[in-house]
Amino acid sequence: MFQRFQANLLAMADNLRLAMGTFLGNPLRTLLTLLGIVIGVTTVIVMMALIEGLRLKVNNDLSQLGANTFEVSKWPSGFGRVNWRMYARRKNLTLEDMRAIQEFCPSVGVVSASDTSGGQKISSSTIETRPGVQVTGATSEYINTSGITVAAGRFFSPVEAVDGRQVAVVGLDVADTLFPGMEPLGQQLRIKGRPFTVVGVLQRRGSFLGMVSMDNVLIVPMRSYEMVYGEVDSVEVAVQAREPELLDKAKEEVTNLMRRRRDVAPLAPNDFEVHTNESMTQTFNSLSQVITIASFGVCLLSLIVGGIGILNIMLVSVTERTKEIGIRKALGARRFRILAQFATEAVMMSLLGGAIGVGLGFGLAFLSRWVLGFNTVVPGWAVVLSLVMSSGVGLVFGIYPAARAARLDPVEAMRSE
Amino acid sequence: MSQVNGAGSPRLIDVQDVTRVFHVGGEEVRALRGVSFGISRGEWVAIIGQSGSGKSTLMNVLGCLDTPSSGRYMLNNKDVSHMTDDELAVVRNEEIGFIFQTFQLLPKETALSNVELPLVYRGMRAKERRERARAALAKVHLEHRMHHRPNELSGGQRQRVAIARALVAEPSMLLADEPTGNLDSATGEEIVRLFEELHRAGNTLVLVTHEPKLAARCPRAIRLSDGEIVADGPGRQVALGDLHAPPAQAAGGS
Repeated sequence: MFQRFQANLLAMADNLRLAMGTFLGNPLRTLLTLLGIVIGVTTVIVMMALIEGLRLKVNNDLSQLGANTFEVSKWPSGFGRVNWRMYARRKNLTLEDMRAIQEFCPSVGVVSASDTSGGQKISSSTIETRPGVQVTGATSEYINTSGITVAAGRFFSPVEAVDGRQVAVVGLDVADTLFPGMEPLGQQLRIKGRPFTVVGVLQRRGSFLGMVSMDNVLIVPMRSYEMVYGEVDSVEVAVQAREPELLDKAKEEVTNLMRRRRDVAPLAPNDFEVHTNESMTQTFNSLSQVITIASFGVCLLSLIVGGIGILNIMLVSVTERTKEIGIRKALGARRFRILAQFATEAVMMSLLGGAIGVGLGFGLAFLSRWVLGFNTVVPGWAVVLSLVMSSGVGLVFGIYPAARAARLDPVEAMRSE
Repeated sequence: MSQVNGAGSPRLIDVQDVTRVFHVGGEEVRALRGVSFGISRGEWVAIIGQSGSGKSTLMNVLGCLDTPSSGRYMLNNKDVSHMTDDELAVVRNEEIGFIFQTFQLLPKETALSNVELPLVYRGMRAKERRERARAALAKVHLEHRMHHRPNELSGGQRQRVAIARALVAEPSMLLADEPTGNLDSATGEEIVRLFEELHRAGNTLVLVTHEPKLAARCPRAIRLSDGEIVADGPGRQVALGDLHAPPAQAAGGS
């Protein structure tokens, strides 16, 4: 048993040495053959690095949205296919709902309500922004539930909110655009012609999902917002639990209260949505999983193309080395030994391609981090999986030429030139 | 030089009524038509015949590169007539040392690696392999050229590498196919001398050739014609055409 194992090990070592000899004897041909595999694996690694980087960033961004908080909304969170018309028929959420939550849910700490209009143009006396600003109307508690921080000045006070004062807290992008080189605090800006005074500037938040700037925003009191945009149909209610441990309890209390207020029948599903950071993270993760699987599928295709290249070159190699195979068989090589020799060569070749691909992938991922500023992280499993997949491709496409070599008749093979 | 000695039959090779029929394009070609003979250990036998006489076919059968269509071939007390490809490979590796007309060396490997090859397929460790290959090269007086590749060696040196390769695994017999066919006469003579040396050392040699002069130097020769044995006896007589004995009488040889 042990001797047999030892013999197999010896044979493997010999086959590896032979494969290396072949590569070194034909370096250019080997490299060209590998190209398909290299490209396939490089693509996998870079794609996975981008997706993983994005996923980590999103998870991080989402966790910053505000600790211990969840949102109550008429609308589902935005990923996937959604039948909007069905949700539109739901009853609106109002400021009364918000106040009820505040009053009747003991585990709830702070509650805020808000509504957002995207794509707005804001102007100062001389400059107008591009129509990309997100204007949010909020209650004064929004500062506690949304995870934002004021860098300069202040957030608007409860009194200003209730009175509907024309005050605004602006993101850095808006401040920079409207008041370049100036102190933004105390400046005047206009939303749809209505004048607002800047009382605070938000701390920089960077971009969400690496694409949308989270600093191109402006927040005003809910009352004033309604003066500009008209009455809000349905507000988003953000709820913060009193303690982190009370988050689930708070969710339960709020859900029960909302079901009572909205007359939901005992066994019927909720006619509103409760979003936690967790659930949004989950939604995004399942989305990124789909992208991962899809791009692996695409890369598998290019691996197959690379595999066909290996199949081709191995067939050529078997033809070229017919004489060698004949000699080896005449001197006592069994079929399996010849099969193993050529299969080893194919697997080593594609594994080498995989390794080069992984190296290039790391390089590109690193480059895209420094040059393009994308957050990329190469996940370990992607490295392992692409190496396993590429050697698998070598085995699958190398086995046929190897079997052909193994079946050769030694006498005829030795006669060939 | 060492010699593997099997118990039982004194005959190393026992060929009984062997035929080999090829089917070429629907036509039957009978390359061997019932051949019987025996070869004992330590013998040096030439198999001689014109091209088309069936001597190459016989050489392939004797070398376990081919199996007979009918009849029985016992090699070292093993019936190899119906063995599978892989079983034959093992027999070739253990029992037969091949010496080919065109040397059949691996061009990219050194002389040493070429000589090692039969031991590779016997599953021997690299260190032991190397030692034995070196010893075999010493026997053919080529120790000083062992790190050269075939294309850096002369024809005679290449054939000596091939002989070392045939010897290295200590087979029951050496099977040479026109070993001097690709060499000039002086180098050929050198190789024949080496064979004489090997014969004296007790090796069993079977030499397939069409050259009467070469066969004449073997103690025994078997002449094939049209797939049948037409003469079997002392090399000089068979080679020079003096002896035409019926195969049945001739079988057994010297």
